[in-house]
Amino acid sequence: MRWKRILAVMMAAGMTFSLAACGDSGKGGTEGGSEDTELLSYSEIELGKDYTDLEVTISLFNHRTDLESDDYGGVTWKEYLEEFNKMYPGITVDLTTDTNYADDALTHLQSGDYETVMMIPAVDKSDLSQYFMSFGSLSDMEQEINYANSWEYDGQVYGVPSTATAQGIVYNKKVFEEAGITELPKTPDEFIDALKAIKDNTDAIPLYTNYAAGWTMGAWDAYIGGNATGDAAYMNQKLLHTKDPFKDYGDGTHAYAVYKILYDATAEGLIEDDYTTTDWEGCKGMINNGEIGCMVLGSWAYPQMEAAGDHAEDVGYMPFPISVDGKQYAAAGADYSFGINVNASDDEKAAALVFVKWMTEESGFSYNEDGLPIVAGSDETKLSFDGVEFIQDEPSVSGEEDLLNTLNADSELNINNVGDSKIQAIIEHAFNGDMTFDDIMAEWNEAWSAAQENNGVETTE
Amino acid sequence: MAGTVNNRIEKQPFQLSKWLHSRKGQRVLICIAFTIIPLLLLLVFTYIPFAEMVKFSFYDMRYTGDREFVGWQNYLDVFKRDDCFGALKLSLYYCAGAIFQLVLALFLATILSFKVKGGNLFKGFMFFPYLISGIAIGFIFKFFYTRGFVFDTILQWCGFQLDNLPYWLRDQRINNWSLAATSVWRYFGQNMVLFIGAIMSVDAQLYEAADLDGANKFQQFIHIILPSIRTIVTLNIILSITGSLSAFEQPYVITSGANGTGTYFVIMNEIAHVSQKVGLASAMAIVLLLIIFACTILQKLFFKYVFRDAESEDESYRAKRARLKAEKAQAKAQKGVA
Repeated sequence: MRWKRILAVMMAAGMTFSLAACGDSGKGGTEGGSEDTELLSYSEIELGKDYTDLEVTISLFNHRTDLESDDYGGVTWKEYLEEFNKMYPGITVDLTTDTNYADDALTHLQSGDYETVMMIPAVDKSDLSQYFMSFGSLSDMEQEINYANSWEYDGQVYGVPSTATAQGIVYNKKVFEEAGITELPKTPDEFIDALKAIKDNTDAIPLYTNYAAGWTMGAWDAYIGGNATGDAAYMNQKLLHTKDPFKDYGDGTHAYAVYKILYDATAEGLIEDDYTTTDWEGCKGMINNGEIGCMVLGSWAYPQMEAAGDHAEDVGYMPFPISVDGKQYAAAGADYSFGINVNASDDEKAAALVFVKWMTEESGFSYNEDGLPIVAGSDETKLSFDGVEFIQDEPSVSGEEDLLNTLNADSELNINNVGDSKIQAIIEHAFNGDMTFDDIMAEWNEAWSAAQENNGVETTE
Repeated sequence: MAGTVNNRIEKQPFQLSKWLHSRKGQRVLICIAFTIIPLLLLLVFTYIPFAEMVKFSFYDMRYTGDREFVGWQNYLDVFKRDDCFGALKLSLYYCAGAIFQLVLALFLATILSFKVKGGNLFKGFMFFPYLISGIAIGFIFKFFYTRGFVFDTILQWCGFQLDNLPYWLRDQRINNWSLAATSVWRYFGQNMVLFIGAIMSVDAQLYEAADLDGANKFQQFIHIILPSIRTIVTLNIILSITGSLSAFEQPYVITSGANGTGTYFVIMNEIAHVSQKVGLASAMAIVLLLIIFACTILQKLFFKYVFRDAESEDESYRAKRARLKAEKAQAKAQKGVA
């Protein structure tokens, strides 16, 4: 009788503790490691010479699910890793990819138990050092790679970009030719005229918005910085302090001109018929086959459109049709960057550093994916933006790293931060004709100004 | 009186170990042992998070960073902003859908609970949608409503011209009806099965007796079936109405809340996760909770009135009053004695 009771109490206690223990697991385990490995910094490592006899398994968490499939048109993960193991046979890379990467990566980080190498998700820069190890100082890293400042905090670099993309428009060359467009449009007016020509002369949908997918709408925000102003400091510095940034500048530049293209195209019936049921996977094949004229997407989308059908040669990539003082610009920036787990053992860190450096310098990943070069001084890229100047956004001023997030949350405009619904609303208003474009922009200006005021931000005209 | 005196005499100093071994003590001990784990789980995973949310609703905060106490400001905002309360109007579409769904379910349940050829097959087919996950249903209907796809094709077979058909999701006048219809499609089978279960428990002799008295099927339904299953009807209505106030899956998956289909939950989700106004979203959640409370209580009162079985209820009410009166009188009398 008594021992039964004791057993029952113990079981109850055991169950309670096992619950409590859930929170703790995963913290240990990654520490320790052998003492003889000396950890070199990113710039010191010579590929093929250092750490070649290292035997360790590292895990990699990545967003490119398409590269895991054998049907992928380009180089697959399997091929990359095989190539990597020729140089470093002792290092095993354990790959996981995820379609819902942006959210899941944050969950992994918060759990404390995350992969050795992962693509850095949207974390505050001030939290970087808590999760990831530094690759080296900014001045050192700038000698090695482009876009070194994309994950920089306090002079330390925490991320190495996997590839870099430019902001432009993916289009079907054949459709443009059939429509009689001989020269690519350089201004918003020329662009709208081109869309009209496509509508009149071909069966293709001039501009496919991908409204239903949501994030494809939020992507329009990426064009209001370098593309629309030609100013590298605009996106992260000046926008925060500009009074009424969405006002009409009158010369077809700035955010007003970007969003007006979308509004006008919708109002004039130059977009797909039923925008509420667009299909993201389907649009890739459609532009490849010439059923779509163009789509406003970053250059990362370009290889996917090429791979989606038999007419890869028809798909092209053109600069965004805004000219500032007669010159076109394209915002270029790092795509997802590799970050290395700060809690990993030294062996794992060394292997991870080797892997990241190999991906950057030897794998050709950035070139294969139609990106801009990451290695400093390299000009290997398939994108040809003749006469277009690439603008790399300057980081925010120190002390204002999180100000854009704050203003975004306060104004609910969520610029460059999943602000999909506000851009979907542009299409709705344009289609239903219940709100003029100037009214929409005035509303945004009001929300932005109120947020600036709430947070005591100084503004200039 | 004598009993109390006796007790006083036998009362001994309280001994914990002895009490624990007594029958009474054992009973208490076992009660505690059995309830402590479920109660602990309930507390940790339901009430403590809820209390935290109530606390959040008084702060201006994001997920990270500092928080600032703002008192009732978030609640005022909920009532001031047009998108928060405007979204509740959309619930009316889902409420209308819910009522239609219940009537349809009740109708089919009544038919299917009598002898019907292939009755079980029909039950199976109509219950099936409930087994599909809400997300999958969202994707199914996204293609179902796409211009020129499934729904339009079926209507064209029936002789409609594509040019005369509306855009089911683009047209803001009907897109909420389209979404509410998916909700009806999904849930009416489940309601129907619940109704059938309840109808099965009605004594078959009652039908026989009613037949002998010359009642037709409709009269049987009104006077026998409906009163017998009123508990389950009330329950289903309460669940459907609260469900329609918190409609989320359909608008979130099919239209992502765009184009005027953002229900209260979708807006709340956007405010909490995109704009990261955690305090405001918490306040919205609590306001919705209070609205659901209010609706449930109103419905309870309403059904108490509607389903009042005139004679018996009145009598019991009278009886209750009489009993209370008697108790009062007794208490008075005892006081007088003391």
